[in-house]
Amino acid sequence: MEPSDRELMAALASGDRDALSLLMERHYRRIYRVALSYLRDPDEALDVVQETFVKAFQHAARWDARSEVGSWLTRIGINQAIDRYRRVRRRRASEEPIEDGAGDHDRRWSDSGPSPERQVMGHEMGARLAGALRGLPERQRAIVVLRHYEEMTLEEIARTLGLSLGTVKSSLHRAVHRLRERLGELRA
Amino acid sequence: MRLWHGRWRRRVLALAAGTLAEDALRTPVLAHLETCAACRAERLALQSTIDLLARDPARAAEPPLSLSALRARVLARIDAAAGQSRPRRPRWAPGLWLGAAAAALLAVAVWWPRAPLAPAPGVVASPPSATVAAEVPDEDFIRHLERVVAREHAARYLGEAGDVLVTVAARPRRCRKGHDHVDVGEEAQRSRELLARRSLLDVHEAAVANARPVLDDVEQVLREVASLESCARRHDLQAINRQVERSRLLLKIGLMTRELQG
Repeated sequence: MEPSDRELMAALASGDRDALSLLMERHYRRIYRVALSYLRDPDEALDVVQETFVKAFQHAARWDARSEVGSWLTRIGINQAIDRYRRVRRRRASEEPIEDGAGDHDRRWSDSGPSPERQVMGHEMGARLAGALRGLPERQRAIVVLRHYEEMTLEEIARTLGLSLGTVKSSLHRAVHRLRERLGELRA
Repeated sequence: MRLWHGRWRRRVLALAAGTLAEDALRTPVLAHLETCAACRAERLALQSTIDLLARDPARAAEPPLSLSALRARVLARIDAAAGQSRPRRPRWAPGLWLGAAAAALLAVAVWWPRAPLAPAPGVVASPPSATVAAEVPDEDFIRHLERVVAREHAARYLGEAGDVLVTVAARPRRCRKGHDHVDVGEEAQRSRELLARRSLLDVHEAAVANARPVLDDVEQVLREVASLESCARRHDLQAINRQVERSRLLLKIGLMTRELQG
């Protein structure tokens, strides 16, 4: 019988690398998609996945057994993504203006759709969504990703990001309103 | 009127965003939508926006690296972090004694021709013990030789690792699994051999201390290459190549190799 996530966390806390491998197998795709939705860059997203599991291994003993393992990993992942975005923004600010539309990275991952039609659609949509999401302040973007990509409840988002429920709600309203304005043509 | 309608619009926004959880709050908004065409249009626009997020290709994107390669990368990072927090190897470590002994032998071999093989005619030979005492190299010299040898080994290791990474970056041959797979069996094997040699460089840690960051980065990438199947996904190889490019690893290897060679 397969060990549960909780059993794996207990093993991880004692330095069991096999437990880490199993946890990665179960969660790495989800963490990657959360990070990609936030950062819109496959390489940066991959680095976030890597950092998430390194931190999970190093801090497994601090995991609160009352919380779900998946949510705990997501919390590490989204916070890593926010940190990474800040670093990239600082670096780019000193080099060049931040792109608002689709960069090469968006093209790279959206080109990997299963059919040519979906590739074209995926490219266009991925690029526009990337631009619109990038236009959101980082906290609003994190809330949109956790709500609409990770399908977390508002309470879970509040706990994950260390915000009040009211702040999560008002930030989500502002974010949806901004996205509506920015994605007008694509919706039509 | 405008203020009143603004309040409804905020509630419509909350409804579309899914933050009106309680029926008691939702029911009056839904009732208002029945009577307000502008609010219905607003709700439709907001709902379409949210539906777009549901169709974002990022939601189904596959990581550009296989799980085994990613696992190798994570384990390398964990080992590197553990290595940084681990105390330095004590001076009396067996590896150091072996190295010192080897260097001493080398030193004696280098110095031997300078010692007189036989006393010249008419010259009174010194007592043997005095000759040996004069010719035994001192500790500084042994340490210098250890350092030179260790740095030379590190330079050779980095050079060979660089060769592997250049070969990986070049277009490898296709293999039996199809056009999206490539043959990297040889590179994976060479990576494994290099990784087996990696720990030997730590025997003379101080001599190659400045190369440590590059050695750690190289080790991480070699682990990824070593974890590839001989007929690997082209995607996995591209991800490794991008990592090498982003970290400018080949440039760092070149610079560090030259520095180590002095």
